[in-house]
Amino acid sequence: MGDVILTMKGIDKSFPGVHALDHVDLEVRRGEVHALMGENGAGKSTLMKVLTGIYKKDAGTITYEGKEVEFSNPREAQDAGVVIVHQELNMMGHLTVAQNIFIGREIMRGKFIDDKKMNEEARKLFDRLGIDIDPTETMSRLTVGKQQMCEIAKAISHDAKLIIFDEPSAALTEAEIEELFKIIRDLRDRQLGIVYISHRMDEIKVITDRVTVMRDGAYVGTLITEDCTKDDIISMMVGRVIYEEGKTESHVAPDAPVVLKVDHLNAGRMVQDVSFELRKGEILGFSGLMGAGRTETARALFGADPKESGDIYVNGQKVTIKSPQDAVKCGIGYLSEDRKRYGIVVEKTIAENSTLATLKRFMKGIFIDNKKENEAAQNYVDILKTKTPGVDQLVVNLSGGNQQKVVIAKWLVRDCDILIFDEPTRGIDVGAKNEIYHLMNELVDQGKSIIMISSEMSEILRMSDRIVVMCEGRKTGELGIEEATQEKIMHAATRRD
Amino acid sequence: MADKTANKKTGNAFTNNPLVKLIGVQKIVVLLVLILLIVFFRANSTAFGKYSTLLSIMDYTYYLAFLAMGVTFCLLTGGVDLSIGTGMFCYAIIGGYLITHKDMPVIVGILVTMLLGLAMGTINGLIVTRGGHAPFLATLCTMMIARGLGAIATNSTSVTWPAYSAANGWTRRIFKITIGNTKYPLGLLWVILLMIAFSVFLNRTRPGRYITAIGSNEEAARLSGVNVKNYKMLAYMICGLCTGLAGLAYSSAFQSMAPSGGGGIELNAIGAAIIGGTSMSGGSGSVVGTILGVFIMSVLQTGLPYIGLQANYQQIIIGLVLIVAVYIDVLKNKRLAR
Amino acid sequence: MDKIRNNTIVKRVGFNTVVLFCVLVLLFVLFAILTPIMKPNTTFLSYSRIVSIFNYAYFLGFLALGVTFVIATGGIDFSVGPVMFCCALISGQLLTKSSWPVAACLLVSVLVGMAFGTINGVLVAYGGLPSFITSMASMMIAKGVGSVFTRTQSVSWPGGWYQNLIKVQVGGVQVPTGIIILVLGSAICSIVLHKTMPGRYILCIGSNREAVRLSGVNTKKWEMLAYIISGGLAGVAAIFYVGVYTTVLPGGGDTFNNDAIASCVMGGTSMAGGVASIGGTFIGVVIIALLQVGILAMGYQSQYQYVITGVIVLAVVYADLRSRRRRN
Repeated sequence: MGDVILTMKGIDKSFPGVHALDHVDLEVRRGEVHALMGENGAGKSTLMKVLTGIYKKDAGTITYEGKEVEFSNPREAQDAGVVIVHQELNMMGHLTVAQNIFIGREIMRGKFIDDKKMNEEARKLFDRLGIDIDPTETMSRLTVGKQQMCEIAKAISHDAKLIIFDEPSAALTEAEIEELFKIIRDLRDRQLGIVYISHRMDEIKVITDRVTVMRDGAYVGTLITEDCTKDDIISMMVGRVIYEEGKTESHVAPDAPVVLKVDHLNAGRMVQDVSFELRKGEILGFSGLMGAGRTETARALFGADPKESGDIYVNGQKVTIKSPQDAVKCGIGYLSEDRKRYGIVVEKTIAENSTLATLKRFMKGIFIDNKKENEAAQNYVDILKTKTPGVDQLVVNLSGGNQQKVVIAKWLVRDCDILIFDEPTRGIDVGAKNEIYHLMNELVDQGKSIIMISSEMSEILRMSDRIVVMCEGRKTGELGIEEATQEKIMHAATRRD
Repeated sequence: MADKTANKKTGNAFTNNPLVKLIGVQKIVVLLVLILLIVFFRANSTAFGKYSTLLSIMDYTYYLAFLAMGVTFCLLTGGVDLSIGTGMFCYAIIGGYLITHKDMPVIVGILVTMLLGLAMGTINGLIVTRGGHAPFLATLCTMMIARGLGAIATNSTSVTWPAYSAANGWTRRIFKITIGNTKYPLGLLWVILLMIAFSVFLNRTRPGRYITAIGSNEEAARLSGVNVKNYKMLAYMICGLCTGLAGLAYSSAFQSMAPSGGGGIELNAIGAAIIGGTSMSGGSGSVVGTILGVFIMSVLQTGLPYIGLQANYQQIIIGLVLIVAVYIDVLKNKRLAR
Repeated sequence: MDKIRNNTIVKRVGFNTVVLFCVLVLLFVLFAILTPIMKPNTTFLSYSRIVSIFNYAYFLGFLALGVTFVIATGGIDFSVGPVMFCCALISGQLLTKSSWPVAACLLVSVLVGMAFGTINGVLVAYGGLPSFITSMASMMIAKGVGSVFTRTQSVSWPGGWYQNLIKVQVGGVQVPTGIIILVLGSAICSIVLHKTMPGRYILCIGSNREAVRLSGVNTKKWEMLAYIISGGLAGVAAIFYVGVYTTVLPGGGDTFNNDAIASCVMGGTSMAGGVASIGGTFIGVVIIALLQVGILAMGYQSQYQYVITGVIVLAVVYADLRSRRRRN
């Protein structure tokens, strides 16, 4: 390990309503691989965005190569040698590999682009990194792993001194990860500073020299990887969560019937061989880190995305679900994580949204019975305590929590027996959160069954009767609420096998 | 696991053949279809084989080639230009009106035609990039404007550019030259030259590269420091200029042009580009493919009457061809997304 | 300003519609004043002038009503004008050459329109093709089919009882029944769009297709229906076109697409989909008809109308984009 290349000290950043970064410190040396860890929403990405100038910091100092800096955009950071390799790929699928790597700074011969030279340079770059990719291949014809390698090569070709890897291994196969690690070690040996963001405990132990842990936007501590165990890191990541009314035992009768059974569900890379059961009156928590495949599982189950294989049984009957229409017919309702995109029709009223899934029931002959519709909507506005001047209010004018209630109302009007809540409290303030928790408990008391996908550990432990943990498209654990602890969940969520 | 480590490369011996890869499967298929079409027309009508048929195919080819090459640039950025058909008529009519009714020199008419095209292209580009309008809507409006403008400027008279034999009819000889007693389709040379120039521009220069990149992934291009707005703008300007050229080609090949005409020709041009493998969703396409598509269109247009199908059938057939071409494009994109 | 906005009547009709109505009145006054100035010894305010405005508004009205449904889904239909002509040509050919009864011909006209609408709808909703290019292709096909059917001959509809749909002679007075039917048609469309299941789904699809699909609604079916309605109404428009102008030439009709789309956009129907106003479309249609007639009355060519319409549409859509951006 060489001298310090980057010091971030006392970095503070607030967004309206959220204190995203609370005086965070980070120090990276030349020739080290520095892991940055933390749960979802701990502030890792925000910190990196502050570093590369996507966000402006509220307070604190950034010292890079001995000088205090403040980059105003990613390009400026890039020019100074600070480069991010993003998790989501930024590539132009129709162009070749070499054309992608040199986009915006093509090698010219006079007035013309010298593609031959660019291919040569790219090939040299790949040789140096020991990557086997043909620079003349069209980008979209490569595997996701190879595309990731190209991103890395592009970053390195910028003459980088500090490279940030944001969950680079998420989409890679075993062999590709080996290749990636070889490259990272090589970069380290050439005295570059490397920040490595990942959830995979095993990788952290293998590749990194030090670990900095963040929790809830705050700095927790920095450890030397060699000297600590997985458990040390996990306990730093989870901290102590305080939650009220947490369940200590399952509320579900042991002989409660299975209302939903999913058998060996497969749908692309993110859903591999997932099986689980849901009992009547149960809240089944789905835990896991970002990109674990929970939402994908729910969408495949609901028929929103095509599935490759797997059987679904509702109340013991095998059912065919090919579209959301089929799922709704089976009495399944889905509350999406992204309300604006998948949940509500913003330019329509509360009443119109509430009856969207059940319009047939509100017909009087060929006309919509507005009175009946308004009554039903008003009924759920009262039950759910939706704050609105009336049911003719456009949904766009409601707050996030109240919009969520409208989506819930839509499925309650439909009288679905199985409800999938995908991140039900994301972007909702504390008061509304509690109301939604109460509502979920009431629903299961009435005999409905709920699948709750959540990235908040406290929410999972507070609400679930049973917890399914997923990691990278596979089910890696199933825990009863009696035995579940944050540590056990986190172990399962970072397991790769 | 093992299957994922392998490259996603699919296809068979044919599609992976280096020569086929270089030219592109679609272009080869289109070329074969073109040859089949010609053989088919020849087999069903001996008159189709005459030299004069070749000349009339060429007359249809020139203006369509310019339009289609121009609109290829818009399509590459993920946009479209619907104003080119009526625009071509509008510019050529105004240019021709100055020559025939205002006794201006031919060169002025040519310049006016070209500059009007460039101006309309610039306006389209501005509306799309600065105004944020959807390209099809923006260019629909300019299409309406062009339709009215030509008629207003010329007082609703139809215009014929100077005839072949006239002293100032040299614009016609740009495209069809007489050597001895035979006429030769000289315009083909200009089309091929422009095709080569545009190919080099698209593949070997920065603006060309960026136009393709924008259509492929606008956000990625922006993050790579490409001035997305300016290069999109450039695409519309090139398209406008090509429309001016097309106006020149049209007025040189055909007799009178009625004001407010030209509607529907844009579809032939867009269709030609899509048949040639240019994607409606941007990012992929080539000028060479577009020219192949143009030949399909012009051979159809010239050939169908020889087998007894008049203009009305052509519209149906071209409409169907367009739907099939777009559907193939949609399928291609679906496969790419997977 | 806010006071006007919050007025209950204004709220009920829609602020946009009120503004549009004022524009209509202003335009009318403008033409009434300018016509005698531009062209001495003519007046704009004559009964025949009003009739010719109405005559233009009838067929355009039905075209625009249909297109409103398609734009409400977030799509576009460029085929309505030529489809209208195709309907008129086919049914007119049957009437004049094959001696079909008038009622059957009127039915054929609507059915032909619906057939084109179905083709558009299947290709867009089920095939996933972009609506603008699909409808342009079917525009060409409609032109071709129309002229193939009539062997490129124009068709003149003989007079008949169907013309009572446009005007009825009661005693010595001409009663424009057409305007009554158009108003009725608009009312029905408005009810379908706002008070029935198909209308509700069509609007919601335009606003957020994915949310509607995830609510278990067959979005493809309803999207297709919008195109069928549009085609069917083009068939109805054909009846009113021949009722007024009697003669139809094959191969035309594409300028009416632009007029119909412009009427919708002016009327407050958003090109992004989800928001539509039948009342607005109606006023939009009358404005276009007024422009068409008024410009001619002032002694200018009708071509000015194209330019003016183009500019108006650009401006209105720009304003819509601006207000959307402000809201987000």
